[in-house]
Amino acid sequence: MMDAEVIELFASSVRRAVRQPTAAEVDLALADIGWREALATEAASVVPVLFSEQGEANSTSCALDDVLAEALGRLGEPDVAVVLPALGSVAAPGRLDGQELSVSGLSTARMLAASSALVVAADTAGQARLAIVGTGSLVTTGIGGVDPALGLLRVDGAAPLDAECAEPVEWPAAVAAGQLALTYELLGATRAMLRLAREHAVTRIQAGRPISVFQAVRHRLADTLVAVESSAALAAAASDSIGTTLDTELAGIAKGYVGRMAAVAARHCQQVLAGIGFTAEHQFQAYYRRVLVLDQLLGSSRMLTRTLGERLLEGRLLPDMPAL
Amino acid sequence: MGTMSLTDYRVGLDRWLDDNAAELVPAAAGTLDDDMAHLSHVRRMMYDAGWMRWGWPESVAGYGGTTLMRAYLGEALAARDLVHPDPYCMAEVLAPTVINFAPDLAATMVPRLIRGDDTWCQGFSEPGTGSNLASLSCRAVRVADAWRVSGQKVWTSFAQYAHRCVLLTRTGSAESAHRGITALFVDMDTPGISVRPIRTMHGRDEFCEVFFDDVPVPIERTIGAVDGGWAVAMDLLPYERSTSLWHRGAYLRRRVGELLAHAGRDAVAPDELGAVVQQLFALRARSRATQYRHADGEALGAETSIDKLLVASTEQAVFDLVAAALPAEVLLDEAPAGARWREEFFYSKAATIYGGSTEVQRNIVAKRLLDLGADR
Repeated sequence: MMDAEVIELFASSVRRAVRQPTAAEVDLALADIGWREALATEAASVVPVLFSEQGEANSTSCALDDVLAEALGRLGEPDVAVVLPALGSVAAPGRLDGQELSVSGLSTARMLAASSALVVAADTAGQARLAIVGTGSLVTTGIGGVDPALGLLRVDGAAPLDAECAEPVEWPAAVAAGQLALTYELLGATRAMLRLAREHAVTRIQAGRPISVFQAVRHRLADTLVAVESSAALAAAASDSIGTTLDTELAGIAKGYVGRMAAVAARHCQQVLAGIGFTAEHQFQAYYRRVLVLDQLLGSSRMLTRTLGERLLEGRLLPDMPAL
Repeated sequence: MGTMSLTDYRVGLDRWLDDNAAELVPAAAGTLDDDMAHLSHVRRMMYDAGWMRWGWPESVAGYGGTTLMRAYLGEALAARDLVHPDPYCMAEVLAPTVINFAPDLAATMVPRLIRGDDTWCQGFSEPGTGSNLASLSCRAVRVADAWRVSGQKVWTSFAQYAHRCVLLTRTGSAESAHRGITALFVDMDTPGISVRPIRTMHGRDEFCEVFFDDVPVPIERTIGAVDGGWAVAMDLLPYERSTSLWHRGAYLRRRVGELLAHAGRDAVAPDELGAVVQQLFALRARSRATQYRHADGEALGAETSIDKLLVASTEQAVFDLVAAALPAEVLLDEAPAGARWREEFFYSKAATIYGGSTEVQRNIVAKRLLDLGADR
């Protein structure tokens, strides 16, 4: 692990990087500060920093591709994008039937510039296999949708397979790595929503007083801070568990919880921000759009929460919790 | 004493608890009387075996070492359902502050507490003073070399079993608010004290009214400075919102595990179960971080209100899930297991009320953590 001083140095560089106006420029700035090298050796230290700063800045990068590529053992190739599961899902985005690969998923903007893509595909026996596919054989479609600034793409296609590349991979581990990154991005965005609502509450004057004097407003913001801080603690527990037997389970639990808490926070903050928070001029809506979509990437909170319950009812045993 | 790592403590304690399970497991269907007697028995066994002494300072007959050992001990006892977490936690709530503010008194009294000889209670709330502690009116007047205490406390947990009480009294004028409060350490067998348990909806009469009629308390039983009781109370409240909540989280986990083991095939809604388990993990993560901050010597403060809000909402979510999954047991069953679920379901309703209500905790969070300024 990096020590606190090195992490703070990295964090201040990241804060500058995520202020770049476009995803491509953010990626360039991240390359300059050695993000991928740090990811390869210090993932547990740098993933929380980068993704929480990115979430807080409402910024976009293609760092999620790097996180997944690293988890799939393919970080060494910079010109590679990763196909994400469909909205809400954690299922591998590819299907492999003999030599025929079909793909249906999502990606970041990196897919547009990349020459090849990592596609994890389930074969007919359910084994996850990693295929490397030329992006020329994939059809990418821009998704405007609720959050155009995120630059999300739909990826479809079919390709004849180079069988040498279809090695078995640990897809759940890659999903967990991505979930942890998204958990931190959600957390950063949620903190930002609280910051905006708090600033509004202490400056907006009604009946001669800032609205922050009213208990209804104070209690909404207090509940939001509870949502934020409990999310932060759970995200840190998930990050600390990397490399233990708990890590995959904890990443899913954290993303499910933090996604739900982002929705709680958004509801409170929107209400505190009232009219100004409903305008397109205010930053709130950009964060709200972002958490709506982030919640759906690599497993929605709704799905993660339900499937956690189903799994526990199946096994009739609670998962281990991090020891004291 | 030598040193002990948390890992060695954990391994050694777990083994000892396994080896001594026959003597440690309570008889089924304990009444509150049984629970209190069993707690004293467990404390005595664990004190004699040394486990109860680790994590307490040597000044109170402890073996020293990290307070995380105390946190783990309570967790292990709760997770194995060996003692009821509420009376067990009174030591964690009350003793640290008495050690901080009255070290000589603590040197005599805390060993008796952790060894199970004595039970302590916390005399804070009054009929006219629920959330507004600074307005308390139970009066202590200095007469020669003693205080004379007259007034009433209410919601005093386990007062009917208590040998000692950490009592907040009014020593200043009625208008002195938080400046005129003094904390006293009172023997509960002093003439003039009467205790009346309150019948509650959950049927476990742990809360009491305590009446003081010209009760003499020696001057040397003053905790902290005369008129300095507010500082004592403010020191104590974060303890009430830290280690005891860690133990409560372990207990809630145990009960959800029992729900999972016993509920019928389609009794539990998966999405509700998933949400509750996520909450248990979030509570544990938050509370764990608090235990470490405490163990590292950091002064706990307003941020523990977040822990309290979390444990309250989690506890209610747990027992709402239980009530939905096991309606026949919770509503109708007279057998011990059903009666226990029912009692806990009702008791969970108090989780957002006692120890500073959810509204009070939110006020603290808003003012102290979010810096929203005064509320009017």
